[in-house]
Amino acid sequence: MDVTWYVVLSAVLFAIGAGGVLIRRSPLVILLCLELMLNAGNLALVAFSRAHGNEEGQVFALIVMVVAACEVVVGLGLIVAMFRRRLPLNVDEMRGLRG
Amino acid sequence: MTFHAPHIDYAGLSPVIALTAGICAVLVGGVFSARRQRLVVSVLSLTTVAVAAGLCIWQWGEREDLVAGALRLDELGLAGALIAILAAAVVIPLSWREPAAERPGSEPRHGEFQALLLSSVLGMVLLAQAQNLVVLFVSLELLSVPLYVLCGSAVRRTQSLESGLKYLIVGSLGSATLLYGLAFIYGGSGSTDFTTIRDAVGSGLTDDPLVLIGIALAATGLAFKISIAPFHQWTPDVYEGAPTPVTAFMAVATKAAAFCVFVRFFEVALGPAVDNWQPALAVLAAVSIVVGNIGALGQSSLKRLLGYSGVAQAGYMLVGIVCASALGVNALVFYLAAYTLMNLAAFAVIVVRERESGYGDGIKAFEGLGRDRPDLAWPLTIAMLALAGLPATAGFMGKLYLIEAAVDADYTWLGVAIAIGTMISLAYYLRVVAAVWMRPAAEPLAPEGAGMPAMAGGSPEADPLPSLAAATAAPRPGTRCLAILVPAWLMAGATIFFGVLPSPLVDWASHAGGALTPFLA
Amino acid sequence: MLHSYLPVIVFAGLGVIVGGTLAMVNGLIGPRRPSRAKDDPYECGLPSEVTRTFRFGISFYMIAMLFILFDIEVVFLYPVGVILRAAHSVFVLVEVIVFVVLLMVALIYVWRRGALDWR
Repeated sequence: MDVTWYVVLSAVLFAIGAGGVLIRRSPLVILLCLELMLNAGNLALVAFSRAHGNEEGQVFALIVMVVAACEVVVGLGLIVAMFRRRLPLNVDEMRGLRG
Repeated sequence: MTFHAPHIDYAGLSPVIALTAGICAVLVGGVFSARRQRLVVSVLSLTTVAVAAGLCIWQWGEREDLVAGALRLDELGLAGALIAILAAAVVIPLSWREPAAERPGSEPRHGEFQALLLSSVLGMVLLAQAQNLVVLFVSLELLSVPLYVLCGSAVRRTQSLESGLKYLIVGSLGSATLLYGLAFIYGGSGSTDFTTIRDAVGSGLTDDPLVLIGIALAATGLAFKISIAPFHQWTPDVYEGAPTPVTAFMAVATKAAAFCVFVRFFEVALGPAVDNWQPALAVLAAVSIVVGNIGALGQSSLKRLLGYSGVAQAGYMLVGIVCASALGVNALVFYLAAYTLMNLAAFAVIVVRERESGYGDGIKAFEGLGRDRPDLAWPLTIAMLALAGLPATAGFMGKLYLIEAAVDADYTWLGVAIAIGTMISLAYYLRVVAAVWMRPAAEPLAPEGAGMPAMAGGSPEADPLPSLAAATAAPRPGTRCLAILVPAWLMAGATIFFGVLPSPLVDWASHAGGALTPFLA
Repeated sequence: MLHSYLPVIVFAGLGVIVGGTLAMVNGLIGPRRPSRAKDDPYECGLPSEVTRTFRFGISFYMIAMLFILFDIEVVFLYPVGVILRAAHSVFVLVEVIVFVVLLMVALIYVWRRGALDWR
């Protein structure tokens, strides 16, 4: 099985995610893009795992899924807290810390 | 298919087990003790920390693989663990007044705060011992995710929430980059185990494109975590916005654990590819030293100043890794310990002054401190002089050690960079010392400003509730809080002690380097 | 050794030049028609129907977030399932029990803290 195309797909997903994190302004969309980056890593891990014929990469991918969920929950929690305080949900307007 | 249970050495795992049990106890103890929550929880977490430290010292000197090679028990890992545990032990009393109540009048949540702090310590202990890509990634996340929450834990301060979200976004960006790099290294070498990767890379994969891409991405991801320039932009913002005890913990403990894994990952797993990563890391170190020191020059907030100084110090410490020698690792571990001592002393003083003065952590809050509060002025002065690297402090010995390692590894120009960086840094560290001793005290601000640093751009309508907890908790000027002062004095005293008599700390650090000797030139 | 970095430097230089030029050209001659629909977080091209006054209750978020966490943790039981036939060992049993006890601690915390009460 040729692993190249899976890796190329994962690279494209990673690039889309990284681009999204850099240019989007809504923290929710940024969280989505971070998920995309982590899942690109997962795709690469599973593809390489298949290519090498050992299952270490698959176990790694399972664990990354859990970690990604934890990150998203913490991110959502912070966003809900900001929403309750009626803070602007736009990372360009977060200028409280700059100097 | 058969399954064989791995042999597990419970003695070697004991610090990890103790911390896990402690986290559960603190979390449950926090919700079941409504009244005397702070007392119950603090006793529980300080006990946990003490037990974990004791177990680490008990295991000192053992060298073996744990849990089928997932963790490596050796002095390098234990040194990182001990530094993280020391930082937690100092930060727990510092944070006694910190966790904000959710609503005015309700009980502040010490249980959550300290359980999160201990989870982060657990992540650090695992990270310093990690010997497998999976463990590396998971423990790095276990370290980071509680810190994101802690940064945003002062829910009624806009800056805190903002810093939490900022740290989350940048930290996750770093993690995702690191993960992608690890996936490529796995793809190139076919294993997640450090020593197997080393063998695979050593047998002709040093120029394999998959491995090279992996190294570049993984180095970038780790550089985000230890705030190496040019991946440092989050550092000053997050340091300023987070509650000060959290900043203190983040500044020292994260660096210690992440540098330990940085060493192990690059010098054990990627050791055979040293010619490929050495020049790149050398450039990163030099850029970090320059950017950090120049960025710190114009800062008026002491937390931001220490943030930029942390970037520069990370650059100095990276030199220890660039050397790729046992001497370099020794120097790195020595500097990590010294850095912990001096930064904790400085942050303890900031915690006190932030509450008393009404100027937040601005440099104005420290003017005239020498006359009014010599008990605070001395630790701060010692910390600043040590960070600047003046003789007779641990900071000086650490820099000397690093320069020696750099010259020894034919990276003399990096040694020169450290020296130049130190000279630039004198300008801002001495500015703080001058403010402490040579200026008259600033006018005390009206009480309504207490605990609310004057911050440009913070939208006033977003802060309808005055920070009640901070205002009511602020002690009257002149009251002494021994729980904060004693750690500050101890850390400052140790900074001087190891500057005058460095040999115990040098011995301690050289054990850590010795643990990696089989892998180093 | 150092000359192996040359392609990287050339690549980075090209990237900066091309990217910078495109960004500048875009800023100079690109059309600029800002509209509210473009600023929406959920960008489907139509103005979003959801007004600011409409909200899910906070309880919804609490339960949803807790669900994600407890739901995803079960992933760790899949690898155990794979080896279950072969593993007649007390070790695996104890591992699973420890894991479930840790989840129980989290559940007790969540319950005592009142996060499961629907308000």
